[in-house]
Amino acid sequence: MREVCVIGTGLIPFGKYPDKTLAEIGWPAVKEAIVESGVPPKSIDAVYCGSALGGMLSGQRVMKSLGLTGMSIINVENACSSSSSALAEAWTAVGSGRHDVVLVVGVEKLTKFGGGTLPLENEDWEVTQGMVMPALYAMRARRYMHEYGLTARQLGEVSVKAHEHGALNPNAQIRKRVSIDEVMASRPVADPFTLWHCCPTGDGAAALVIASADVARKQKADPVRVTASEVTSGLYTNGYRDMTWAELTARGAKEAYEMAGVGPQDIDVAEIHDAFTIAELMYYEAFGFCERGHAYELLSSGATSLGGDICVNPSGGLLSRGHPVGATGAAQAVEIVRQLEGRAGAHQVEGARVGLAHATGGGIAGLDHGACSIHIFAR
Amino acid sequence: MTKSSTLVVNEAAANADTRFVAPDLVALDAKGAPRLIGGRCRKCNAVSFPRAAVCANCLSEDIETIELAHEGTLYSYSIVHQAPKGWTVPYALGYVDLPDNVRVLAHLDAPADKITVNMPMRLSVGVVGADPAGAPLLSYTFTPV
Repeated sequence: MREVCVIGTGLIPFGKYPDKTLAEIGWPAVKEAIVESGVPPKSIDAVYCGSALGGMLSGQRVMKSLGLTGMSIINVENACSSSSSALAEAWTAVGSGRHDVVLVVGVEKLTKFGGGTLPLENEDWEVTQGMVMPALYAMRARRYMHEYGLTARQLGEVSVKAHEHGALNPNAQIRKRVSIDEVMASRPVADPFTLWHCCPTGDGAAALVIASADVARKQKADPVRVTASEVTSGLYTNGYRDMTWAELTARGAKEAYEMAGVGPQDIDVAEIHDAFTIAELMYYEAFGFCERGHAYELLSSGATSLGGDICVNPSGGLLSRGHPVGATGAAQAVEIVRQLEGRAGAHQVEGARVGLAHATGGGIAGLDHGACSIHIFAR
Repeated sequence: MTKSSTLVVNEAAANADTRFVAPDLVALDAKGAPRLIGGRCRKCNAVSFPRAAVCANCLSEDIETIELAHEGTLYSYSIVHQAPKGWTVPYALGYVDLPDNVRVLAHLDAPADKITVNMPMRLSVGVVGADPAGAPLLSYTFTPV
């Protein structure tokens, strides 16, 4: 594989756009990424579009708005990992030498469902018994609390940190701080989670232009490199599973670290999949940022806050920036690239050189999660 | 799915006033007691729930229909306050670990403050929601022993 770089990023503020079509939500992010890249729009060899619930031909609907069609457009559905999986496909296409310049876009419009929990696949037997995503994570949380003595209030501090960061991010869906008392007093969703323990639903889009190193260095002196790109799926069992350990993410993290030749100690900034408060803590452990059972200590030490050694979710994460499912992976990648380029603004992680993005999810019976995609970036 | 005597009983239940939300998963025996319908691979003995058409361990399609154990241990749970239409909220949802390495998601029939991790549970039946016309829907549930 040859070296792959990111030369353009685009992101719209996440939020609720019920009056816009999917294409109207998507094209501004694509245009921004192309303009930023400096390459002629017609030089884009292929498009990979991630969307979980956007429907047929999401990528074509977005691209035709800009009059950019005719190239290969591949639509990728992989639940919460849709656009990060699209990025992985794009990385392979450029890395293998098949293409030189590829566009990645993640786009989602969840307001079309009118709110509430994410619609799940009714053919799934657990869904027939009342499974909803908050309950799945809540059961992880309950078991983790049982095994490690974590309290619901300690768990709520993840949300406080997320909103501290999100309040500084003009692209975040929820740009306000919340106190731990507000977190705990909000309405119950799935015990031990109140509303503030859960990511909001909404709409959003993000895009990246990636290119071979040859093309990239004609545009930028020191482009951000993609040093690891991987996608894994959960391991099926209808039997017992340790729900306090994010097996899928841990497996993906090991692969990604090996590919990039780095370890957890080298990561300066990370965007990880905090769909619910417990997720962030479990992923600290899966990524090796701390030992098993010690995630809360890491959080409360301030190490994962802005100014800490390993800042996690400076954008506000899914909890605050928002989680329009298929757009999330691309938005995380945009965030990390801008962090490494030193242009994240008020939520900049000073001196960040190595960052990772992690999108995982998909409630499916018998699997930890459906999919997990991890990218590591360096400059 | 292969017809079995338990499924015939279940079809009768489906014609009664209340219906199971997922009739493939549960049946009533001759005494009206609920039984979870699983599968056991005749080649490698792997147990499946729901009953698999093809063994996820060895790919054999020679799967025997079996009744799963009636008692297990609660692995974890949540009290669900927000759910799609049709469910009666709040409801308690949990994973119950049965013998033979089977974990079953189920509604729990117990007050929220009486539910604890690792408590022993027994299979039961309860109304868990309603269909679009408002008719009650049954499912298997687990009740503290």
